[in-house]
Formats: sequence, structure tokens, C-alpha cells
Amino acid sequence: MMRITGGRVYDPANGIDGAVKELRIDDHGRFVDAIEGGRTIDATGMIVFPGGVDVHTHVAGGAINFARAMTPEDHRRTQAFIRTKNRRSGLGGMAPTTFATGYLYAGMGWTTVNEAAVPVLSARHTHEELGDIPIVDKSTLALMANNEILLDQLEAGEYERARSVVAWYIWAAKAYGVKAVNPGGVAAWKWGHDAKQLTSPISGYDTLTPGRIITQLARICDDLGLPHPMHLHCNNLGAPGNIATTLDTLRHLEGSRAHIAHSQYHAYGGDGWDSIRSASRQLADYFNAHPGLTTDAGAVLFGDTVTITADGPWQHLLYKLTGRKWGNLDVENETGCGIVPYTYRPSNLVNAVQWATGLELLLLIRDPFQAFLSTDHPNGGCFWRYPEIIKLLMCADFRNECMAKLPEAIRRRIVLPEIDREYTLYEIAASMSAGPARALGLSKKGNLGIGCDADLVIYDADDDAARMFSRPRYVIKGGEIVIEDGEIRETPQGREFLVRPPCDPDIDAFMRPLFEDRYTMSFENYPVEIERIEHADVRPCAPAP
Amino acid sequence: MGGKVTCTLGEVKQKADFIVYWGGNPAECHPRHFTKYTIMRKSKFLPNGRKDRTMVLVDIRETKSAKAADVFLQVRPGKDFELLTILRALIKDQPVDNDRIPETGLTRDVLDDLIRRMKAAKFGCMFFGMGLSMTCGKHMNSAALLTLVAELNAFTKFVAMPMRGHGNVTGADVIMRWQTGYPFGITFNRGYPRYNPGEFSTVDVLVRGDCDAAFIIGADPGGTMPQPAIDHLKRIPTIVLDPHITFTSRLARVHITTAPQGIAAPGTAYRMDELPLPLKPALKSPYPTDEDVVRRINAALDAKPFWLPEDGRPRMLTAQV
Amino acid sequence: MPITLRLRRRPTVPLEAEVLSPDALADRSLAEIRALTVYHGKRQLPLGEFFDVDVEGERGDDLVLHGELTKVRWIGRAMTRGSVTVHGPVGMHLGAHMAGGRIEVHGMAGDWIGAEMKGGLIHVHGDAGGQIGAAYRGSPRGMTDGTILIDGSAGLEVGMRMRRGTIVIGGPAKSFVGLQMKGGTIVLLGGAELRAGAWMNRGTIISIEPLPILPTFAPATRVNPGFVGLLARYLHPFGIRLPHAPEEGDYRLYSGDFSVPGKGELLVWRPAAEGVASRESVGGGI
Repeated sequence: MMRITGGRVYDPANGIDGAVKELRIDDHGRFVDAIEGGRTIDATGMIVFPGGVDVHTHVAGGAINFARAMTPEDHRRTQAFIRTKNRRSGLGGMAPTTFATGYLYAGMGWTTVNEAAVPVLSARHTHEELGDIPIVDKSTLALMANNEILLDQLEAGEYERARSVVAWYIWAAKAYGVKAVNPGGVAAWKWGHDAKQLTSPISGYDTLTPGRIITQLARICDDLGLPHPMHLHCNNLGAPGNIATTLDTLRHLEGSRAHIAHSQYHAYGGDGWDSIRSASRQLADYFNAHPGLTTDAGAVLFGDTVTITADGPWQHLLYKLTGRKWGNLDVENETGCGIVPYTYRPSNLVNAVQWATGLELLLLIRDPFQAFLSTDHPNGGCFWRYPEIIKLLMCADFRNECMAKLPEAIRRRIVLPEIDREYTLYEIAASMSAGPARALGLSKKGNLGIGCDADLVIYDADDDAARMFSRPRYVIKGGEIVIEDGEIRETPQGREFLVRPPCDPDIDAFMRPLFEDRYTMSFENYPVEIERIEHADVRPCAPAP
Repeated sequence: MGGKVTCTLGEVKQKADFIVYWGGNPAECHPRHFTKYTIMRKSKFLPNGRKDRTMVLVDIRETKSAKAADVFLQVRPGKDFELLTILRALIKDQPVDNDRIPETGLTRDVLDDLIRRMKAAKFGCMFFGMGLSMTCGKHMNSAALLTLVAELNAFTKFVAMPMRGHGNVTGADVIMRWQTGYPFGITFNRGYPRYNPGEFSTVDVLVRGDCDAAFIIGADPGGTMPQPAIDHLKRIPTIVLDPHITFTSRLARVHITTAPQGIAAPGTAYRMDELPLPLKPALKSPYPTDEDVVRRINAALDAKPFWLPEDGRPRMLTAQV
Repeated sequence: MPITLRLRRRPTVPLEAEVLSPDALADRSLAEIRALTVYHGKRQLPLGEFFDVDVEGERGDDLVLHGELTKVRWIGRAMTRGSVTVHGPVGMHLGAHMAGGRIEVHGMAGDWIGAEMKGGLIHVHGDAGGQIGAAYRGSPRGMTDGTILIDGSAGLEVGMRMRRGTIVIGGPAKSFVGLQMKGGTIVLLGGAELRAGAWMNRGTIISIEPLPILPTFAPATRVNPGFVGLLARYLHPFGIRLPHAPEEGDYRLYSGDFSVPGKGELLVWRPAAEGVASRESVGGGI
């Protein structure tokens, strides 16, 4: 039991904007009305936030593990977590090790993370890694939009069947939702091609277009009543002029819920690398006119990182551009991924446009319940650099200082200099916690209301937002103090959220022969057993009647 | 700098119309490889199976696998690195001294034909075995093949995959990576992981006599490592967990018999393409699992004084330490 | 006066002692020096457990080490000034990441000498291990400046991915000299095994002995480049003689490695006295 008194509370889920308010936590780690006794934390003069929720990150599974192996040079110049009697060792950096991932997220006040790309075939691996990420709660999204069994159903117009296939895969993966990456494009990449036009049939199919995959999959997610809508990585990532594709994609989604991942990478104008410019205004206008849609920024920070995406064609291009290392892993029937270490440089005009575009989207989309903090970790920058983004959002002067260091030619290509909006603490709390929690359908997260999970973070008020957000005074997870004065106190094991959507009882019989033809694993070995998930928390679905 | 371009075996089964085995003898060492994953398989994209696929074998001698191959290339022993390096130049139309090509055991015409076939493939896959990775040049031979494959992607789809040996080698590698960032050759002597193959890899540590105890699970170094390494294992307290009596268990001070993984102990094995497979035990064993034993040893160690200073704050690494 | 350290207790497992560097010792009292942490395997112990530390008169930033230091690693790591003189053999990572100053070893040295160094001089009067001046695994570049002189033989991957600077190997070197080299100069006075210059991008490898050349290098042309004379003058004070006068002979230049494709240079010396018959053998087959 614990009470937190005197702090200024920012709880956007309940419309509380800086009021001084006492919070009470019971022995089950939930907020309650009243308690008897227990510890009291005097937070007078401090700032109280709901624990951060990362709607889109890559922290566990085959792809990030591939990246770890590819970047030993980075592990040698990073933060080392030294083993103590009750804490495991690990390394931070571009692709942190599992234990370090938990310590780093919790260390800056984030308490829930959503691993946004899980191939069902290796979901078992992802869950084993998640089991080694301490403190934070976790959820996963299964990669579906290049799954050939599903695509065959969509091509044949078998919508009902397709819906059951998706439901079957989600439960097999013990996932929480559906991720769609470059619909049709990854399947085409397996032949060395890409899918850039939403209306052209994809390689290997007669009529199926990326546009149709997008529309149908979004509808399936809605019909299955998944707590989180389809999580979409649009086609044509990173390409100059891709705003046309992105807007076209959004029009394909009219009438459905959707979350658009890392929209920064999908908001470029121009028609080549020489003329690339930000198209954030067009994209933001669309979001402002469609309040049901959500997105995360996928913001870029200058410096070294490693890019990991299921977008294989893009990664091959990046490898050719950088001449550095390249990893690629195609996963049978389902997806693929590419890995390329990359350095974003302020002197590089394209990188500078990317840096500005991410911030512009966060600043131009008016409702912070629609646009969330993310770097698409590790693609745009590492998650442990979020406090830098918060400072850029909260302080226009700091933004201008940073902009002054960019090449002069950048000004014609971006709109950031025209924006004077500064995020308030309330808006930051919405963008880093309450908003993503709502989009994920995690009703007890990002919310300091009665009955919700007591995940919160307490900061010493500081004029330097980057400093304030990188070193919380306390982080409380499920009612337990995990960080105090920058030190890790406890490393409890978090929960894993998943769903069991309804599906046709005959689906096993339907899947088995297809499966045995496509895959190289036995049908019985494919689904992850629920017993294999540490602290599984199965969330309800609300299927359409 | 190259890298690694790979896929799961199902992709090969479905799509690979061009398959190279380099320094391996699948017909005898991985007998089900042809039928389960490669040349004998029919698929949606390769409906005629064997007829739709081309197989090339590169090896220093004509093994049984050569009979299955459409093309057998006999490379001179110790010349794999040169051959792969020449191929890297030729695929990019770079000049190569034609008089020097025969040193590799092959001719320019043969290589031109190979390159033509590789570039014409829709989906190529190179499997490489210990005949490449453990012979003259070692890790650089593997690097040469991986780089060639990465570069072939400028022309067509191409992937590479190592043919790994017995045991759950891949699983150890995968888990070490997520827990430490490194696949093998790791030291924890300062309380956090550090990596340097050649310095911290088991065989080198043993040969130099750098350790004063050894704890061995799921391996039989006594049967495979060079004599100086084995001699050191005999000198120091060596503890072995193994279901069987092995070369290593015979020289060990302590041998704890454990239940065999996958037969009587559950868990996860990682296949050579890093896919996780559940192990479902079929039998009961009177012996504890490896995991049980390690947990009990850990619990006993917890009762001893902690070996690192208590002030374990994270710190920034620079210049290697 | 130098600080003198004599090995008192032989380490039984590797002793990681990056504090054996002028930067770490120069400004400390004797008691502080003895208390500095070294890593004997996983045990953290004071330096004084292993070394007798002495200094006569006023201290400078020079160290003198005595003893059988084969298991002692990281001597002179990241040092920027002063000198380290060792009487006896030393272990791995000698002068790795160093930026300035001098290291002199009267004895053998292990692998990774001057790995990723930025400046300064290392001179080993004996045989050395592999990966001299190299990049650590996965790093994009090895040494970026400075000089490494080995009087004896060297192991694998000398100068792997080096960017700038000079390495001279007096005795025979093993395979993969200058692997993926990006710049700088390697001088081989005693030749090398196989695959010198493999995958090199830029930089120069000079060999005084005949060298097996990879087929992905262009056939030889005869040259007598002026910079060899400059290099010879730089190396002369170290007692290293690099032939360069036209009357003594000339160099065969092979450029490559075309597999990259790279623009590196292999220069192989051919003395003038050698007859036409043996010319074919220079840089010929392996």
C-alpha cells in the first residue's frame, strides 16, 4: 500500500491537468479510493505522470536479435549494466540486450511496451525474449499482411475464411493484435520486387492489390473486435513523394479503425532524393479531419542507430546507399526483415528533412490523443532518447537552436520554422501515455483513475525537459517502487497482454494441409502454448455481432 | 562491409530454383535436407520439383552428394577463399588474372557458366558447411561466402545459410545474443558481457590455460578440441552435465548425469535457420534436467559472498572496458 | 624518474591491468597506485598484490615494467603521453586505443597490439601475435594513426581495416595482412603467408620478400615510387632499412583488390641483381 501526496498530477485520461491530488495504491497494485497505512511518498513540488506506454517499438525477437549480433562495435561504447546480487547484467546502445531493455525503459518512466512486429513462425522466440525483459508490461503484434495463406484467401474473395485465418494466427502467436507491413511488398520482395502502387496486383497474384489487403485486413481487425485496430506500416516507406501513397492508403481505410505506424517515414514530397521535402502538413490535415485515426511519429534523432524493418526492399536500398553492413531474414510464408546500421547526420539534407518531419507531425496534429511519441525504435533513434524529443516538443527556442545547425537549404523543404506550438506537460502525458494506452485498448494503462494499474512516474520539476524526463525521481510499476533517485530498486516480472479472437471451429482442419505444404515445421509445433507465456493476461475482444 | 542475407528453410523449400552446397556433404551428413527442404521438393512455385531446381556442389572431393548435383565444382583444398573472392570480382565485371584462376582447381569458363546461372536464378540459396568454415581461412571463408551472396542481390534474390552441426548450437547462440548482445566468445569477469573471439572463445581460453575451472553443458570438447585444450581440462576442476558418458566426462572431476533434452527434458531448440521448435519429452528420466541442476547450483552460489563490489551502478564503456 | 613496477606474483589467469598506463599512474601517490584495481579473472584486486611499485626522486610520466607479463593484458591502453618500457613478454591488447606516447617491449607480445590506436609509437623487440593495429570485431576501422614496429614475426590479420598509420613487421607475417585495409602503410620485411591485401580498399602494403598475390589484383607494373624514399627516411632512425634506390632494384606494383573493387597497392621489391629467369617467380603463384 502506498499514498503519493502533494504532487501536481497530469492525468489526461481523466482530464486532470496539473491539479495537486493524492493517489492511493492498494496491495494489488491498483489505484483505489482509500487505504489504511502503508508508505507515503511526499511528492510536493514534483510532477506525477502515468507510466509511459510505447505503442510501437522493436525490442524482442529474431530481427532485433539479428541486429544485436551485427553490431558488436556499438555494444563496446555504450551503457553497461553491471551484475548485482539482484540484477542481471546487460548492455544498452542501439539494440539493447533484454535485461537492459527493461532497465532502460523503466529508468525513464515507461512501464508498457508494444513489440510491433512478430512473425508468427518465430513468435515462440519473441515470447522467450520478452520473458527476459523485466519490469515493463508487454504486448505483441503479429505480422499478417504478407502471409501467403491469408493473401490467397483474400485473392479468392473468401472474406469469412480470411477472418478466421487471422484469428487463428493471432492465437497461435499469442499476440495482442495485427501488424501490416508494406502490404504485398514483402511477399514481392521474396522475388526481389516491391509493391509501390496500391492499385497494381502484387507479384505472384492475379488480382490482389495492396489496397485490397489494407481495406480487408482493417475490416477483419474491426470485425474480430481486437482491442487495438490494424497497425499499419504503409507501402513505399522512406521514398520521396510517398505522401501520395500514404494519403491513398488512408482513403482505403475510410470506415475502419486504424493506427498508422511511424508516419514520419511516410510523409515526404518531392520526386527524388534531390527534391525530397516534408509533406507533414498534408498528412496532419488528414489526421485533423479524421479524429478516429491514430499514429505514432517514428521521429528521427541525429546520431547512430540500426534500422530494422520488415520492409526488405527498403533495407536493400539503404545497404546500397551506405555500403555498410546488411542483414536480411525472410520468414517462410509470412514476412521478412532487413537490418542496416545507419547514422542520421544533420548535414545530410534527407536526414534533416526526416528529423523535421517527425517533429512537424507531432506539432501539427492537434490532438495528442492521436499522435504519439515514438522513434520506431531503433529505426529513427533509440527509445532511451525519448526525453530529447520531449524537449524538442516543449521548447520552441531549443528547436530553433537545433534548426540553426542544419544546412540553409533545408528551410525551403520543411515547415518546422513556421510552427511555434509548444507541448504542455498535459499534452506530453497524453502523447507518451494516455493516448497510446487508449489506442492499444489497454484501458487500465496510461490512466491514474480508480481501478487502473498503479504504473506511474514522478519527476522533479526541471526547466530542462530532457533532463527531467531522463531521470525520474520515482518510477512505480504495479504499485511497487522500481526506480528511486535513478537507481533500480526492484525488477519485478511484467505481464504479457494477448487476445483470443473468435474463429471458425473448423479452421484447424482447413489450415493443416495448407500449412504442411508451406511450412517446414509440424502443425502441432507451430502455435505457442499459453503455458509458455510468463504472466499471460488474456484481454477480451468485442467482435461485431 | 557485407553482412548476412538469409531466410528460413521454408522459403528455400517454396522458392529456391538454384541451390549451392559449399563445403558440405548433405547426402551423408544431413540426409533429409534434399527431401525436406531443397532439391526434391515440389511447391506452388516449383511444381516439377527436382526438374525446376538446379543444384551445384562445391567441395574438395567428389562425395556422394556430387551424384545429386547438376554441377559439381571441385575446388582445390584451401582455395575456397580465393575462389569466392574471384567470384565477387567477376559478378561485378571486375578484371581477374585468368592465368591465376586454375590455381583454384577451376577454369574461367566454368566460373562464367556458374555466374550466368547464379544471375539467371529467380531465387538462389547457398548452404555452407564445415568444409568451408573450418578449413584454411576459417571465419574469413564464411565471410567471403556471405559477402558474395549479399552482393548477388544486386542482380537477383540470393540468400545464404550455414549447415550447423548436432546439438542446439543455434539455440545457445540465439540466447547469448539476447541476454548479452554477443553470440559466443564472451567474458563476464567484470560483471557485464564483453566479447572477443580468439580471446574468450572456449578453445583459445583452454589452449592458453587462461581458466582455472570448466563447466560444460551439452558439448564434448574432450572429443573435438586440440590436445593442449584437453590437457588443460584435465589439469583444472572440470564439471560436466551430460546424459551420457563422453570423452569429456571421463576426464572430468565431476560428471552429473542429466535427462536428455528433447527425449526426457522439455525446452526449445533453435533450428539452423533460427526457428524455435518446442521440445516435448516422450519419456520420463530419473535424472534431473540441465536446467534443474543449474538452478540448484545457482541457489547454492547465492548463499556465498557476492563476487562483485556492491556498488553496481551502470557505467559508460569506452575503449573496450 | 620513471615509476618502476616489478611483477611480484605471477597471475594464474589473465590479469587485466589497463591502469598500467602513464595517464592512470602519473598523478597518483605510491599508495594510490598500489590501490588501483586490476582484474585477476573475476577478482578485483589492488595492483600492489601483483606488483612492487617504486619511484626514485621526482616522478615523470614514464613507466618501466619488469617480469613475465604474458598473462597481463591492456598495458598502455588508451594512453596519451609519456612512455611504457617493458622488460619481459606481455599479453594481449598492448597499447590498444592509445593516442600518444611510446611503448617499448623487450620481449614478445600477444594479439591486438595497438588495435584501434589513434597515435603514438609501439616498438616490440620480439615476436608478436595477430590483429596488430586491427579493428576489433565488427568495428569499421582499425588504427587511424601512429606507428607499430615489430622486430620479429606476426600473426594473422595484421592491420585489418586500418585507416592510417604505419606498421612494420621485421619477421614473417601470417595470412591476411592488410585484410579490408582502408589506408595507411604496412611494411613486411620478412614476407607473409597467404592472402596479403585481401579485400583491401586503399592503402599500401610493401614487401621486401616475394609475396603470394591474390588473383584479384592487377598484373604487375614496375615502379619506384617517391614516397618509399620518404618512408625509408622515417624508418631509418629505428634501424629499419627499406630499399628504394633505383640502382638497387625496383618495386612490382599490383593494384586491387578488385573483388571489392578496391584501389589498394601491393609493392613487392625486386633487387636489381636478380636475373630474368627468376622474375616470373616474384609475386607469381602461391
